[in-house]
Amino acid sequence: MHHPPLRVLIVEDEALLAMDIEAIVEDCGHEVVGEASSLTTVRSLVGLAPPDVAFVDIQLAEGSNGLDVAAFIKAHWKETAVVFVTANPKKVPDDFAGAHGIVPKPFSRAGLMAAMRYIEEGLCDPPPSTQPPRSFVASPIVRQRWEAPAE
Amino acid sequence: MQQKEDWHLTEKVLHELGRGDPFAAAIRGTRMPMMITDPRQPDNPIVFANQAFQDLTGYSRDEIIGQNCRFLQGPDTDRDAIERLREAIRAETPINVDLLNYRRDGSTFWNALYVSPVRSEEGETQFYFASLLDVTERVEAHAAIAVQKSDIEAQVQSRTADLEAALETKSLLLHEVDHRVKNNLTMVGSLLRLQARAIPDKALRVTLETMLERVDALATVHRRLYQNRDIHRFDAGAFAQDLTSDILAGSGRDDIVLETEVASLQIRAADATALGLILNELIVNAVRHAFADERAGTLTLKVYREGDMGRIMLCDDGPGFAIESVGETIGRTLVSRLSRQLRAETVWRNANPGTCVLVSFPVAE
Repeated sequence: MHHPPLRVLIVEDEALLAMDIEAIVEDCGHEVVGEASSLTTVRSLVGLAPPDVAFVDIQLAEGSNGLDVAAFIKAHWKETAVVFVTANPKKVPDDFAGAHGIVPKPFSRAGLMAAMRYIEEGLCDPPPSTQPPRSFVASPIVRQRWEAPAE
Repeated sequence: MQQKEDWHLTEKVLHELGRGDPFAAAIRGTRMPMMITDPRQPDNPIVFANQAFQDLTGYSRDEIIGQNCRFLQGPDTDRDAIERLREAIRAETPINVDLLNYRRDGSTFWNALYVSPVRSEEGETQFYFASLLDVTERVEAHAAIAVQKSDIEAQVQSRTADLEAALETKSLLLHEVDHRVKNNLTMVGSLLRLQARAIPDKALRVTLETMLERVDALATVHRRLYQNRDIHRFDAGAFAQDLTSDILAGSGRDDIVLETEVASLQIRAADATALGLILNELIVNAVRHAFADERAGTLTLKVYREGDMGRIMLCDDGPGFAIESVGETIGRTLVSRLSRQLRAETVWRNANPGTCVLVSFPVAE
């Protein structure tokens, strides 16, 4: 695949996890263009060129919520693929609130990298050449679009 | 008309015990309250009431004869029951009905009333014959049982609500604790990863990364815990598959093909962590040693059940290795100590080509 690195937004209120995700994203050869810890800080990033991918935690700072963040992102950056990173996947509604998928916490470096690679392929060269990794739960719509028909 | 005159005869006989129609005498003397009404007279009055009727109602014959039997009704008598009784009399059909009736002194009794028309040979209704049965005790017992039953139902309902609330609290608590454990494990992983990045010494970094892999294996266990309704059970098959895929993906080795044949295998949730750590060592070892130096190949994972033993088999098609010769000491110690903890047996054999390792352990019923 020859394409520029993906532009990634990280929305996570735990500084440690944000740092960790940032490092893993960069290990995959992508670029972190913004970090936010709450809905308010996401709003302040609105001048940013649209990110390709946003990793969004569900429980955020200032009592804000990843589902609201996802709605905000979808409203402002139509093309951004939202991926929830959460220890509580059950909080995500059945339609994934328009998100592409979920990376359940606790994630491993390997798991997050595999998810990143799968998303990269899905966005830049769809459909992905592999089955989705275990660390990535695709939304029903994305599953339909990306998952290769069973051989 | 003849019959009516006979009737008057028995009325007279009443005062002259021992004479007259033995059937009439029996009716007069029976313990069952009985009466007869004459529908051919205006308002269908009572023309006869036996002694038992007088005893039950407290009225004397003089007060009874000539009355319509509604004089026994009172304010609490059920209107629907009265309506059914009226309907039956209008239709000239027999009826059984329970009525709340009133005695002369105002006290009440439950009257299981039976009324039936007495017809002439021509089929014309000449009299109504009615028998009364005081069923107050039965009705009151029923009412008491109904009250008790509804009391008990209310109690059961309230207890059930309490239990449901307690269960709800417990689920919330479990959810909350689960969430925190996952978050903390994520933090531990993140801390180790950030530290590993900052270490210049390669050997030290590899050691830290090995630690990290173990923490990741624990994380994988925790992601799967509490996913089922049964929080005491854990599917070792699905977990082994997850973990193997994760480790391979993490190694970045897309030249290693994973083949799986995995059945669902329920183990105790309490054993999940130990099994996770054992599998982690085995898989990491296979990746590091069987497929060292960028050698491509196939890793096969089989999870199945044999009798009351669960088996997890991991085979590579590498050059073959002896466990004694590979992995760090702590890895081997982990496998052997944790196997013992699980009452599991972990055996390596040369599969030619490659190596197979088989973990056998008792499974939960």
